[in-house]
Amino acid sequence: MLASLVAQAAQLPFDKPIIDFHALAPEIVLVSLMSLVLLVDVFKLEEGRRFIPPLTGIAMLASIIPLISLALDGADRSMFGGAYVVDNLALVLKAMFLLSGYVVTLLASNYLAEGDFWESEFYLMMLSSILGMVVMSSSRDLITIFVALELLSIPAYLMASWEKRNLRSNEAGLKYYLMGVFASALMLYGMSLLFGVSGSTLLTDIGAAISGGDSSTPIVTLGIVLVIVGFGFKVSAVPFHSWAPDTYEGAPTPVTAFLAVASKAAGFVALIQLVFIGFLGRADVVEPMMWVLAAASMTVGNLIALRQTNVVRLLAYSGVAQAGFMLAPFAVVGTNAEDALTAVVTYVLIYASMNLAAFAVVIAVSRKTQSGEVSSFGGLFGYAPGLAVAMTIALAALAGIPPLGGWFAKFVVFRALVAADSAAGYTLALVVAVNSVIAFYYYGMVLKAMWFSDAPDGDTSPIRVPVSLVSALTLTVAATILFGMFPGLIGHFTGNLQGLLAAAGG
Amino acid sequence: MVAQNIFFGIIAAAMVVSAIKVVTTKNVVHAALYLVIVLAGVAAQFILVGAEFTGVTQVLVYIGAVIVLFLFGIMLTRARIGHEMDVDNERRWIAGLTALLLFAVMTYALLDAFDDTDIEANGALAPQATQAVSDSIFRDYLIPFEAVSFLLLAALIGAIVVARRE
Repeated sequence: MLASLVAQAAQLPFDKPIIDFHALAPEIVLVSLMSLVLLVDVFKLEEGRRFIPPLTGIAMLASIIPLISLALDGADRSMFGGAYVVDNLALVLKAMFLLSGYVVTLLASNYLAEGDFWESEFYLMMLSSILGMVVMSSSRDLITIFVALELLSIPAYLMASWEKRNLRSNEAGLKYYLMGVFASALMLYGMSLLFGVSGSTLLTDIGAAISGGDSSTPIVTLGIVLVIVGFGFKVSAVPFHSWAPDTYEGAPTPVTAFLAVASKAAGFVALIQLVFIGFLGRADVVEPMMWVLAAASMTVGNLIALRQTNVVRLLAYSGVAQAGFMLAPFAVVGTNAEDALTAVVTYVLIYASMNLAAFAVVIAVSRKTQSGEVSSFGGLFGYAPGLAVAMTIALAALAGIPPLGGWFAKFVVFRALVAADSAAGYTLALVVAVNSVIAFYYYGMVLKAMWFSDAPDGDTSPIRVPVSLVSALTLTVAATILFGMFPGLIGHFTGNLQGLLAAAGG
Repeated sequence: MVAQNIFFGIIAAAMVVSAIKVVTTKNVVHAALYLVIVLAGVAAQFILVGAEFTGVTQVLVYIGAVIVLFLFGIMLTRARIGHEMDVDNERRWIAGLTALLLFAVMTYALLDAFDDTDIEANGALAPQATQAVSDSIFRDYLIPFEAVSFLLLAALIGAIVVARRE
């Protein structure tokens, strides 16, 4: 019976897929080293534990090597009929995810070792999540996007509740999980409608099908709206942001940094690919929706941030507002696709460096104060001037003060909106400007505590900052300053993104 | 074709009735069992259109795993099995209104797009035979397939850490 089945199967035609191993090299390196981490954990439980954080860091950095060789090679590589593409955009984003992962590893190593955590498994979760993001950067197909999204989200849900004995951490994980799966369900329904209309999961085919002649059907609108709503949850855009503050506050702080930077950026990467390849022909649906999401996120996020007294919650609401800034260029995709694409990618890259810097300082300070309150930053300049300066740079960058990274990010968003030369673009640019000013107030609140207030309880003993945190701070602060002083640097990375639009035929 | 349409109607009616029962019954175990009827109905619909692989997967995953998980969950959380419980809450009218609104929007959109279009037998939307499904998993969707294996690995390790007694 079995023999006859095998004989029958041998006669069935099967075209082997053509696999470009150079294009897949970053994923293969990451997966191999991840398996090594797993094996070390399984076979050398006690002695191996101290090797796992460095090994995780090496896994992230080693995966960047093939990215460099691919960048030097320069050719766009496309596999599976265009479902998996390695172009400049994918390379830049993969590098950003791997470097963010490396920085979070540095942030987490002492935090986990000193707390009551399962350590080695944590790094496996993070590597899987980063793998999902790396895959997401190349996905140009609904199924690949969905699987990558789940691969990056499910470990993140678990990481948020990693502090098992802390009820707030459990609440953080549960809220994030429930909202996350709800969003996935909506998005999946939207994807199934789009597949139903176009008959293909490839974004390029979907783009061609829905921007055709008789395409003004409600079903296309419904599909696009549901997919964007699904990712709205992921990037914590208003009104889908309700999980973010509780999750950020309850989760272990390195995980919060990971969620606020890498996970949010991954949501934007998916949106970039969906909107700029798939939905570009339906700007009439995308633009108004994104306008509302962006304006609401900026305004609501900023207004609630004004009232926060906890730094992590403050950064959570500031993250909601920053998501609004990143969504703003999507509101002019129809008229100014090229600038909008550059603006979003630039903002995501700079946001990653400055936000990670801010979280690194919060983690360092809470080592001493065991608190996330703004008041616990009082007098920081007196006893830890290095940390105070680093935090000042991070917050000033988030606020958008030149010459730090943040101003350039805001500038490109502003330029993309104004260059669109439409009523929607101008009004949204106004909203961006007003919100940038509001944000000064709450970032200033933290700065004021650090520079002018006295230390709470007069405790001015210095903070012992471990080497890994110092390296994380150095990396992120340096990137924040460099991006601001030499905007050409980031332009070098984001200069050749038009390949994506060419793929969309736009 | 007519016979298939009749059976579609019968199964769909059974699914609608059971789906309403899922949310109106006061017994949690009954709710889970009504859900079995709904999901089995979905599987039957898949088989009716010739998508046998999807139909069998539906039975394996939803009835075989998800519902069993529900029942285990009910047993292990010390809920009082068999007793009537007040599983309703004050927001039922808002929930009902939302459901009705969603139903209206989706019905309108789906009727507008697909009203009486026949799906081509060999078109992109036609149900695929099992062989075609397996071919596309290992050809077009190779990367998601590999990614899913790591997803399962990560979920397994994470679940053990979270559920493990210290």
